[in-house]
Amino acid sequence: MSNKAARNLFIIGSLIFFVIFLAMTFDTLGQLDKRAPEITQAVDDGKMVWHKYDCIGCHSIFGNGTYFAPDVTKIAARKPKSYLKQFIMDPRGVNAQAVMPKLGITSVEADNLIAFLDWVSKVDTNDWPPKPILATAAGVAGKPLTAGQLVYQTQGCSNCHTINGIGGTSGPDLTYVGGKRDHDWLFGHFKDPQKYVKNSAMPPIDASEEELGQLTAYMLTLKQEVTK
Amino acid sequence: MTMQYKSQKMAQNFYTFAVLLFLVQVIVGVIGALQFIWPDFFILKFHIIKTLHVNALVVWLLSGLMGATYYVVPEESQTEIWSYPLAQFQFWATVVTITAVVLGYIWMGFDPQANKTVFGTLILNEGREYIEAPRWADILIVVSVLTFLFNMFMTMMKTKKWTGIQGVLMVGLLFLALMYLPGTLYTKSMVKDQFWWWWVVHLWVEGAWEIIAGALLAFMLMKTIGAKREVLEKWMYIEVGLVMFTGILGTGHHYYWIGTPRYWLWVGGFFSALEPVPLLLMVWDAFRTTREARNVTNKAGLFYTVAHAIFNFVGAGLWGLIHTLPQVNKWTHGTQITAAHGHLAFYGAYVLLVVSMIYVTLPAIRGIKEYDPSRAYAAFWWMTVSMVFITMTLTGAGMVQVYMERLMGLDYEAVKASYNLWFWIFRAIFGVGFLVGVGIFVVDYFTLRERAAIRA
Repeated sequence: MSNKAARNLFIIGSLIFFVIFLAMTFDTLGQLDKRAPEITQAVDDGKMVWHKYDCIGCHSIFGNGTYFAPDVTKIAARKPKSYLKQFIMDPRGVNAQAVMPKLGITSVEADNLIAFLDWVSKVDTNDWPPKPILATAAGVAGKPLTAGQLVYQTQGCSNCHTINGIGGTSGPDLTYVGGKRDHDWLFGHFKDPQKYVKNSAMPPIDASEEELGQLTAYMLTLKQEVTK
Repeated sequence: MTMQYKSQKMAQNFYTFAVLLFLVQVIVGVIGALQFIWPDFFILKFHIIKTLHVNALVVWLLSGLMGATYYVVPEESQTEIWSYPLAQFQFWATVVTITAVVLGYIWMGFDPQANKTVFGTLILNEGREYIEAPRWADILIVVSVLTFLFNMFMTMMKTKKWTGIQGVLMVGLLFLALMYLPGTLYTKSMVKDQFWWWWVVHLWVEGAWEIIAGALLAFMLMKTIGAKREVLEKWMYIEVGLVMFTGILGTGHHYYWIGTPRYWLWVGGFFSALEPVPLLLMVWDAFRTTREARNVTNKAGLFYTVAHAIFNFVGAGLWGLIHTLPQVNKWTHGTQITAAHGHLAFYGAYVLLVVSMIYVTLPAIRGIKEYDPSRAYAAFWWMTVSMVFITMTLTGAGMVQVYMERLMGLDYEAVKASYNLWFWIFRAIFGVGFLVGVGIFVVDYFTLRERAAIRA
């Protein structure tokens, strides 16, 4: 191949590939709005809050950004909004171990930011992030779930709490909670967390008395087993 | 090799700015690495440190590439720069703008509320990774780059010696300037925001910058070995051609999970899997040419050039390939695997490129016939061994994260704070090792002199 031929191949080939890329971009842009909810004023304002505090400096969104703090793509779908708001405005007031600094985010800004994150969580991301294989399997394989475990699962408690290493770290670890709290405390706490734990960021559980009773019974089984 | 045109010394201004920012980048990098272990270490929080780390990187590499261009174009065109005062003005305007932007980031670290919205844009930091620079700075940067391109174009027009090397270099720089523009758009949709953002980030590092790398690789092989221009330029065209054929549609590997249609999984997977091919070709090109080497005076320059080709392939090529297919990327996307790839890719492809160009051209600029290369080698081994281990620790952390968080369902914070702690500790240690290497390089850069003078 002569130098001239190689040069022409570079120029013409690059242009052809760029034109294909432009055509695909055009097609993609036409589809994007259909794959996401409508953008309200609050969502747009929330996006500016996201940019203003340089959230991407620690977090990632759609998996892109920084890997110093959790990805936020599905965070609004997994954590209670009331918890998110309290945490965003004063992270260490909610969780003393929190790494996130208090940035001075106002109440209005926090509401908009949550509206934005809620929008993000509803975008069709081709099923990303995938559901953890082992955690999902643990709920189906082996022994059938008890009534209390079922409530724990349907209420999404593991989004914030951990049992035996699986779950979130936003709220306290529940692995041995049965040895620390009694029936009345647990049952009452589910209905009104702030009455039992001052400044708790946990929302009241929206479930029937029967279900709360089952959940309490499950919590009471979570004890350290001592074999003599 | 001697410098033939006085105005080529403009390169040194940009090199100096680049070298200083490199030092800043790595110092804040070590601070950031320590914050993975102690989040409250240092007065500025992690997000400010990270912003400084990546912005210093982008700016110093660009500054180094501009410096290289100020050296290459007069040499290839066989004439002085069209306007030396304009080049001087462009240099100082760039320095002032960048300094102002950096001070803005630091200010924001002390007072987050200072990042106010003025005329619909944020005044200190746009909060978009890599292109955090605010709108007023975007405009100044575009003006600076256009001034630079105009000056270089007019230099070429003086003699109209359209050599392949400077032609491809200009194509790369023009593409670079154009691809900055999609990043300045504001979109209400975060999906569109990310879509255009990748035009800048991907089409820079896996498009425009690789074209520039291809042209500079040919230039450096020609200068250090005296290899034949015809052969070098032919392979250069083939390499940069393949970069574009695979890289443009390879952008699709960033469009798997951001809300874009599913067909990108096929397009992105196929083309990005081919992206290492041109990088492997560059390695072969470097070795093939080096075999012809006879009397090489600038051995360290050649050493860095070949190392650049190898680590460009390993860091950008192989470490990208391991997680580029959608079936794998579904699990690894957004984990420390990406950070591992980012570190080795930028080091191999661009840090070593700019440092190579400095070692190849600086002796000529300073009028040095033969320099003592011992510090150049010491810097290389400190930096490279450290960076390889930084990459290994991040890859290890990423594998643990993928398994425990993505497969088992453990919490992000639990994995980061407990299971990956030792990886962060080792990463910080190797980070200090890298800083030592950079320190040696910086000292060598400022004190490079004739070998005879050292002996005497």
